[in-house]
Amino acid sequence: MTRASKRKSDDQNSTPIKTARVDSVRSASSKAAKKVEERIDELYTKYVNQSSCVIEPEGVEALCSDLKVDCTDVRILMLAWKMNAQKQGYFTQDEWRRGLKTLKVDTITKLKKSLPELEKEALKSENFVNFYRYAFRYCLTEDNKKCLDIETACVLLQLVLGVRYQAQVDSFITFLKSQSEYKVINMDQWTNFFRFCQEISFPDLNNYDSDEAWPLILDNYVDWTKRRDNVATA
Amino acid sequence: MSSGQKKRNFQIEAFKHKVVVDPKYAEKTWKVLEHAIHEIYNHNASGLSFEELYRNAYNMVLHKYGEKLYSGLVSTMTFHLQTMSKSIEAAHGGSFLEELNSKWSDHNKALQMIRDILMYMDRTFIPSTRKTPVHELGLNLWRDNVVHSDKIQTRLLNTILELILRERTGEVINRGLMRNIIKMLMDLGASVYQEDFEKPFLDVSADFYRVESQEFIECSDCGDYLKKAERRLNEEIERVSHYLDVKSEAKITNVVEKEMIANHMLGLVHMENSGLVKMLLDDKFEDLGRMYNLFRRVPNGLSTIRDVMTSHIRDTGKQLVTDPEKSKNPVEFVECLLEKRDKYDKIISLAFGNDKTFQNALNSSFEYFINLNPRSPEYISLFVDDKLRKGLKGVKEEDIELILDKVMMLFRYLQEKDVFEKYYKQHLAKRLLSGKTVSDDAERSLIVKLKTECGYQFTSKLEGMFTDMKTSQDTMQGFYATYGAELANGPTLVVQVLTTGSWPTQSSVTCNLPSEMLALCEKFRSYYLGTHTGRRLSWQTNMGTADLRATFGNGQKYELNVSTYQMCVLMLFNGADSLSYREIEQATEIPSSDLKRCLQSLACVKGKNVLRKEPMSKDIVEDDGFSVNDKFTSKLRKVKIGTVVAQKESEPEKQETRQRVEEDRKPQIEAAIVRIMKSRRVLDHNNIIAEVTKQLQSRFLANPGEIKKRIESLIERDFLERDNADRRLYRYLA
Repeated sequence: MTRASKRKSDDQNSTPIKTARVDSVRSASSKAAKKVEERIDELYTKYVNQSSCVIEPEGVEALCSDLKVDCTDVRILMLAWKMNAQKQGYFTQDEWRRGLKTLKVDTITKLKKSLPELEKEALKSENFVNFYRYAFRYCLTEDNKKCLDIETACVLLQLVLGVRYQAQVDSFITFLKSQSEYKVINMDQWTNFFRFCQEISFPDLNNYDSDEAWPLILDNYVDWTKRRDNVATA
Repeated sequence: MSSGQKKRNFQIEAFKHKVVVDPKYAEKTWKVLEHAIHEIYNHNASGLSFEELYRNAYNMVLHKYGEKLYSGLVSTMTFHLQTMSKSIEAAHGGSFLEELNSKWSDHNKALQMIRDILMYMDRTFIPSTRKTPVHELGLNLWRDNVVHSDKIQTRLLNTILELILRERTGEVINRGLMRNIIKMLMDLGASVYQEDFEKPFLDVSADFYRVESQEFIECSDCGDYLKKAERRLNEEIERVSHYLDVKSEAKITNVVEKEMIANHMLGLVHMENSGLVKMLLDDKFEDLGRMYNLFRRVPNGLSTIRDVMTSHIRDTGKQLVTDPEKSKNPVEFVECLLEKRDKYDKIISLAFGNDKTFQNALNSSFEYFINLNPRSPEYISLFVDDKLRKGLKGVKEEDIELILDKVMMLFRYLQEKDVFEKYYKQHLAKRLLSGKTVSDDAERSLIVKLKTECGYQFTSKLEGMFTDMKTSQDTMQGFYATYGAELANGPTLVVQVLTTGSWPTQSSVTCNLPSEMLALCEKFRSYYLGTHTGRRLSWQTNMGTADLRATFGNGQKYELNVSTYQMCVLMLFNGADSLSYREIEQATEIPSSDLKRCLQSLACVKGKNVLRKEPMSKDIVEDDGFSVNDKFTSKLRKVKIGTVVAQKESEPEKQETRQRVEEDRKPQIEAAIVRIMKSRRVLDHNNIIAEVTKQLQSRFLANPGEIKKRIESLIERDFLERDNADRRLYRYLA
């Protein structure tokens, strides 16, 4: 686990080795680190639900209004990603600490300022697949442990991919809503849709080959698109 | 050769003669020989002494005058040949060849003698000087001076070709003479034969046949043309055997084949009203056989016939299976298929020499069009059902086997064998339960054939059905052995105990049995469960039959053979004169659609209306009233009312069966995928599709889209995963 790992960076609560030379430096930085931790925890208490000791949806809402960001904004999702939050709408203390520490912020203002940077980071190609898959998992619930219902999936797609691949997302969402064969989307289909956006030329879809291992739902989508186009031009 | 004896005074001298010193010796000796050659050519050889001439020649060679001898020979012979040549040139018309032949004969004789005389030179001088041996020299000189002489060469060729042409147009020519002349050319060497005769002969023949074939094709139909072509071919072969070099046979037959057959192949095959298709339709075995034998001689000949035959079979086959008229009667449908197969089998065996490639083309065509009709599996099963119910009654065992083998042959063509299995099971169940099978042996024989074709799994359930029937018989025997005395006065019960897994699935809804039967059934149930613990029995009241003895108001007595449902309804009338539909429904608890059908069969069918319905309409509503028809009469004492004959399925039933088949296929596809992935570990998409399709081929044709769906389902359930780097690869998750 390298320090650069964003998902699983643990609380860096390692006790400093007390050597004569670095002692002062260490203790100075450990004091500073302690201060940061304290502020982070303080911030936590601002939003935490007293009885459950985790930040609940109301707390998240409050956080969002403080950040002057809409709750449904993708940046909140990215924040959750940084925290590696497991449950949608809830942040545990560990997750909170993890997220804010990695972002190196300890106040609301600093957190707000870090959001653009965070956004850029998530959208970087090497991270995006990670974030994209996380987004799917984040939205799974107790009832639907493996799949997202179509409604949720459409919203999420718009949120996560809308900026980059607006045309494809719009078209695909229309398809999903108009068909009745699939009631849910699973992780495999989710992941492959992103790959579809990356690899397949749009809107002609010329290089799509249904003999390759595309999920059947995408085959159906392509057929639907082609039929629509034929009707439109006819 | 000297004696070596030095005792005597004189010595026996060796060959050395004083004559050696004579410078004129050579000349003198040569003159003798020259004279001899003249005499020989002048048919005056009888006066010559072989020994003397031989000796002279020998001496010349020995004394180193071989050169003179040789050149003298050349010039003398040449002189004579030129004389002969003039004589031949002078011959008129028909005698030209005769003269040539005669002179050739003379020359050969002369040459023979000369060669004998000059044998020593032939053996010593000639090899050492590498000159042409005498015999060969003689032939060469003949060639150069006679055959290749200006006035003879062309005339010879033309004469020969003229004669051949005349023979081709029907005249009789002197074959012996031709043979000699041609043999002469052959003797002069292969290149003379080929250049001076064969090549021009082939060219002229090609022209001849080109023209003739064009004429024929414009005025003959296909069959006639082929006859003519065959005749010409045979003629040429015969010609070669009589007077040409045997090596020419292949060449001239090639010419005929090319001009008469290859060039007109397509035209012949597609000739209107007489081409291949017509021949096939009319079973013209002789013509077809002739076509086959002729066409196999040319490149692509057979494949042309095969292709046309294949597309014809496919077209007519397609018409046959998509014809709605034929589809009305399944038995007729299958009989048409069998007829067609028999027809082409006969053609292939009688006309096409059982050619395997044609057999294969026939098979692939059948496979193609049989599967165009999705009901083919059902119909074939119905055909078998009909045969096993009554069609094979009284038929000899070996004939039964023949018919079953034919059925198997059609079965092999089916792509959806699992559909056939489903229907066969249904039909077999009905046959077994109604006891309507003509021959138990025939049934079993067919099962064995299916097992050989498809393996144990295919037939294990079917065999289970037979076993159940047998076991049930034993159970009934046991039952009556135990309770026989008690039950002697009551109704007789015959139970078939069916193992759920083996028989076609039916939803079982029990109805209320009449009290007379209830006790008996319960007794059986407890008897059975007594001997077979841990089992559960449920009565299939929708599948049974009953025999009732009925006495009607008019005094008539009949024996009614009815279904179990019908029995339940009829028995009610022992206790009531008339009942409404509602009352009957309540009492029997038979499901309404079945009950309606049941009542219709009892009250609305002419000749079988043991009940009377009020009102008389065909539809049944809640308030309709039913009573016993005391006026019922029938010609037969035993009246059959309920039958459970296998019939062509109605649309909704068909949909249902098709759906069940599709459902059954899903786990089979998944099992195949898991099997393959387990052994390969990692495999790409296209290969999985190919492998799965291959594995399932013997049962049905797997749809790639369906396979994809199953793969995705397996991914979802964590049996497989996609490879991270290459999305086309799948990985088996242990």
